[in-house]
Amino acid sequence: MTAPAIAPSNRAAPLRRNAWLEALRERGPLELLGLYAALAVVLLQTIYPLVWVLFGSLKTKPELINNVWGPPAGLQFGNYADAWRIAEMGSRILNSVFVTGAALAILIAAATPCAYALARLRFRGRNVITGVVVAAMLVPPQVMAIPLFLVARDLGLINNRLGVAAIYAATSLPLSVFILRSFFLTLPADLEDAARVDGAGRLAILIHIMLPLIRPGVALVTIFGFIEIWNDFFLAFLLLRDKAVQTIPLGLVSFFQQYDSLWNLYFAALTITTLPVIVVFVAMQRQFIAGLTAGAVKG
Amino acid sequence: MSNGPQSKAALPSPASARFGAPPGRPESGDGLVALLMMLPAGILFSLFYLWPFLHGFWLSLHNWDGFSAPVWAGAANYLRLMHDAIFLGALRNNLIFVVAVVVLKNGLGLGLALLLNRAIVGRTFFRAAAFIPVTMSFVAVGLLWSWIYNPVFGLLNAGLDAVGLGMLKQSWLGDASIALYSIIVVDVWKWLGFHAVIYLAGLQTIPAELYESATMDGAGPTRRFWHITLPLLMPIVFINTILGLSGAFVRNFDIVYVLTKGGPNHASEVVLTYMMTKAFQDGAMSYAAAMGYVLFLIVGLASVGLLAVMRRRQMAI
Repeated sequence: MTAPAIAPSNRAAPLRRNAWLEALRERGPLELLGLYAALAVVLLQTIYPLVWVLFGSLKTKPELINNVWGPPAGLQFGNYADAWRIAEMGSRILNSVFVTGAALAILIAAATPCAYALARLRFRGRNVITGVVVAAMLVPPQVMAIPLFLVARDLGLINNRLGVAAIYAATSLPLSVFILRSFFLTLPADLEDAARVDGAGRLAILIHIMLPLIRPGVALVTIFGFIEIWNDFFLAFLLLRDKAVQTIPLGLVSFFQQYDSLWNLYFAALTITTLPVIVVFVAMQRQFIAGLTAGAVKG
Repeated sequence: MSNGPQSKAALPSPASARFGAPPGRPESGDGLVALLMMLPAGILFSLFYLWPFLHGFWLSLHNWDGFSAPVWAGAANYLRLMHDAIFLGALRNNLIFVVAVVVLKNGLGLGLALLLNRAIVGRTFFRAAAFIPVTMSFVAVGLLWSWIYNPVFGLLNAGLDAVGLGMLKQSWLGDASIALYSIIVVDVWKWLGFHAVIYLAGLQTIPAELYESATMDGAGPTRRFWHITLPLLMPIVFINTILGLSGAFVRNFDIVYVLTKGGPNHASEVVLTYMMTKAFQDGAMSYAAAMGYVLFLIVGLASVGLLAVMRRRQMAI
């Protein structure tokens, strides 16, 4: 399809057995050595802190101070059970899954038809509305945190997970509509015209013909939205005040502040919340990075 | 995208530019369908975007504690802000933060992308590794670094001891003169991989023939960088600058709150942390709302300025 090309990983040719030899011939031994030494430094500063957390999560408390660098002497898996219990991980994870899932569902359901209308339908005021969408992208929701809090309070949405999900969806709306609209614009018009001749309604065209074609756009919006909402602390801090509805980032911070010295348990809690996301990312990093760069670079 | 009705939307836009305006069909009977399709988004947007934005501005022109009736105050809140030493300090910290992270993310991000681009073997692996911090939440990154900076068992001081630089040991987050810079390092660490990945994708769109012919003409690596790579990458530099700029202005609450809460003694205070303190500890709702609009004005002007520069250079993105 012609729709937004995925960023090319063209020169990453399939790895052949003599790839190193080829690299050696092209770059020379000295340059190759310097290159990989520099990359090793980058790797070390990124990965070692995470490995350090993993090590720390399996140490006893005295060991954390006596053995700062190395792996743990014995594996204290009990840390994980304690952290899970004290930080109430179970309910925090459920809250995060619920809020993020609901927000993404609302976001896609609202943004897609709106983007389609702005890209494909002809009606008065279309340019004005498109302008509003673009202008809204320049207004980060953080700057109106106080009035947003007041609106949520007046509508009774404080501590309401579904309400907060709707607010998350709204804050991601302008960028999402804009991205999806660009994807719709790339689709050829004949496609739709043919379907209209056959008598298909607009909604049917959107759902059955257009939607499958802009799946990369929906994926991109979902990825952006997921990173943003799953990791958000600011709005959650503002709107989810009751412990029972708090998401993972809030749970981590309050655990950290409430129990001042359970360092090894913090490491365990951090591993529990961070590792799954990293594993998912590593498993699908090709699609993930391709989707991310498609929006920014190809055009 | 300097022609066609879409040029208003000169933001990082996937692929829209090439195709210009939507295909014009003469019929105009789409009004009702369009209205229905935009209704859900319209409701969400009006309720949680447009209304708070307008209502908050109205509020910032009043005095209000959050409970009793608002009293008209005109520009008093804004005038008070101009004499609030803590707010001005927070604004200054915000600007230092923005300039530092934008420069560092662009410089280091491009450097890392050039390294990755030259790696024939294992590029995907190194790219993924560099990207991992991007997937972590600010809270997780902040907590991680608060331990790295920990004076008792933190990695940084222990590392300095280990290589014999013990005299450089610091109370990284407790010393008012360096706390802000310690936070800046964390933000750059988190986002470096993101900017590097975008630069890398940009580098890979530059045709290899350009380098080949330049090499034949006798241009060395440095000249090839300044005369081919950098000019062709300028659109990507702008994208990275815009992304970094707006992020650094308004995405710093989480990380500052987790690492220092703005301390010690407001040394690392940024506008958002001060805004939250004023609103929810002092109950000065309208005063806090006014801070949001000052921040909005600065972010807006900076973004519009950058976009104007981009447009003038006829940059197609």
